[in-house]
Amino acid sequence: MISLELESFAYDDGAVLADIAFSLGAGERALVVGASGSGKSTLARVLAGQLDAGQGHRFVGTLSVAGEQLVFAGSGSDPRIDPAAWAQHVGYVGQRAHAHLSMVCASVAEEIAFGLANRGVPAERMHVLVDLAAARLGLTDLLERDPRRISGGELQRVAIAAAVVGNPAVLVLDEPFKGLDVAGRRDLESLLAALGESGTAILLFEPMLPRDAGPATRVLVLSGGSMVPVDQDVPGSDDLGRYGVGVEGVAANSAPLAHAVGEDRIPAIRIRDLSFGYGAEPVLSVADLAVSSGEAVAVLGPNGSGKSTLLQHLNGLLRPEAGRVQLYGEDLRGRPVGSLASTVGHLFQDTDQQLFEHTVLREVAYGPRAAGRSRKEAERCALQALAAVGLADAVHHHPHDLSFRDRRLVALASLMATGPRLWVLDEPTVGLDLRGREVLSGLLRRHIRDGGILMMATHDEVFAQAVCSRMFRLGAAAAAG
Amino acid sequence: MRFRRRILNPLTELTIAGLLVVLVLVVDDWRFSLAVLLLLVLPAAATSGRAVHIAVAFGVLAGPMLMFLLLLHGLFYPEGERVLLDLGPAAVTAEGLLFALEMGTRVAAFTGLLLTAALSLEVSELLETLTHRGWNRKLVYVLGSALGLAPLVADRAAQITRAQQARGLVVTRSPLSKLRALVMVGRPLIAGLLTDAADRSRTLDARGFAGTGPRTSYRADTDTAAQRAVRWGLLAVVVVFTSWWYVGRHT
Repeated sequence: MISLELESFAYDDGAVLADIAFSLGAGERALVVGASGSGKSTLARVLAGQLDAGQGHRFVGTLSVAGEQLVFAGSGSDPRIDPAAWAQHVGYVGQRAHAHLSMVCASVAEEIAFGLANRGVPAERMHVLVDLAAARLGLTDLLERDPRRISGGELQRVAIAAAVVGNPAVLVLDEPFKGLDVAGRRDLESLLAALGESGTAILLFEPMLPRDAGPATRVLVLSGGSMVPVDQDVPGSDDLGRYGVGVEGVAANSAPLAHAVGEDRIPAIRIRDLSFGYGAEPVLSVADLAVSSGEAVAVLGPNGSGKSTLLQHLNGLLRPEAGRVQLYGEDLRGRPVGSLASTVGHLFQDTDQQLFEHTVLREVAYGPRAAGRSRKEAERCALQALAAVGLADAVHHHPHDLSFRDRRLVALASLMATGPRLWVLDEPTVGLDLRGREVLSGLLRRHIRDGGILMMATHDEVFAQAVCSRMFRLGAAAAAG
Repeated sequence: MRFRRRILNPLTELTIAGLLVVLVLVVDDWRFSLAVLLLLVLPAAATSGRAVHIAVAFGVLAGPMLMFLLLLHGLFYPEGERVLLDLGPAAVTAEGLLFALEMGTRVAAFTGLLLTAALSLEVSELLETLTHRGWNRKLVYVLGSALGLAPLVADRAAQITRAQQARGLVVTRSPLSKLRALVMVGRPLIAGLLTDAADRSRTLDARGFAGTGPRTSYRADTDTAAQRAVRWGLLAVVVVFTSWWYVGRHT
């Protein structure tokens, strides 16, 4: 079905893969795990036939799909892959599902049909195929919706539907579970199982090994751009840990934290009778919540239960429709968001939307500069924060050239640089590898030990239990806390 | 936008709006401009389902221009002889007011026509129609993404501003502060849109967009032979009328 014998692959900027060989038959599934920067996404793109990534490359090896063998010698006379023809055999969805949208389709159905329409498939056949793909991915009810106005999990499924609508033999998914809650993961998992049963070979790329990968899934470990041998029967965490790969649901640094909860007369955060909705639909209601210095609170709940909404009330990005939000006894009403940055540091769920400068140093120094510090002083704060997250040597890089873990850590450093007492983190572990989790948990522990406060929305209960002193559940059962 | 009126295909609506703009400029009579504005633009905008949007955009775009015309020509019209109100260096003259009226109704008519057409247009339906009519797919895409880009750019700009605010950018109600926020958002916005565009171009390649074969369309053609005939007919009428207006009328 698909097989790869890769001797070497390098982009002009130096990203490298070497010594990778595997093959996958009809209906089989493989999981490629590797730390951030181990070359997973590069390998996924090679398999998807998207070799260029906007720059030159050199590929030595053999790639075969559906009986066709392409031999690359790293020379100018190498075969050229037609991405459209390739996509008929190998469907691919990368990490940023929204980049897989055409942006001109008014409905989910047209978005799924976009590739078929470009190939000139007759309309009747297109309708049949779209209905089938939609049914397989549970999108039948969404076919008439605007694809630019659906949730992240739904968008992910639309992108997969668009990749499998032409019935390719192989499906390559780069971190498809990122940001999905337990129910979302379960849905996607059963969809993939159904695709596998119908004969599609599936290759998944993940930074952590899921605990429930299943015996039928072959695990391939990528480290430093190469495939490393692991015991196929029991890929234990010790063995994988050597390659920077963690097992989901196993906490790093799980020694219990001694929380020195401050005995404040006025709690650091006080929320009373808060309610908020988008339009007529209520999203969040919190009757009473008080958090003191030195406390770490995990905000738990399924997708759409209002976790991000709650966090965004803590620095005024959202304002309550009713009720009050107080920080250190002061009501946030009328306080501009920017004036709270030195009290509240907010880490957004989508890191890439948070980074906007063209060097890491400028990015991290933005906060202190906005707070009125001199350039020199701001850069000193920035360097200190970058050293704390272990990125002191990345100061002149463009944030978007870093690996996902490092981008997340730059975003964290950028909030640390203004020295806020309250850290508000929205799904900080999503997509993070083992090393990223270790750095993050170390930083959170130090912050709390130093009397800081943490509010963290997460689906990762194991991580939450390792770091937090209190769980606050949102959702149908316990919206009132 | 499901509640909007849907009488004509978007291509027909665009054609009519474009031809009316030509007529307004050719005829150049305030009574004609006013008639177009009141009898066509106003009902079309009111039933478009986006009347408020159109009104706001009209106010922002045409409002200052209309004020300017009124002040400049109403007070300082050089050829004005019939003085209605003498204000020393300035004078309100009948000729000045008439000129301002002519210019004003013309500006208002064609701004209203274009805004109503653009803001009530269903982009995807227009693209489907152009695909069914066999237009070049890249041209159709460029047109579609240009028309569909505005909400995307607005979303993205809002996200960047939120990120900047969370890190200390203070935006107050003062126009100066708002202007500063706008300047701050510009460069990262453009950089982000370029990254998106690069990603999207790979996606489009993989989804066969660069192919040269015939393209089909998921949605049925909403265009009709009658509307096609009407479009060509109207175009012919406007060309003939314009020729007559400029040449035939004076011979």
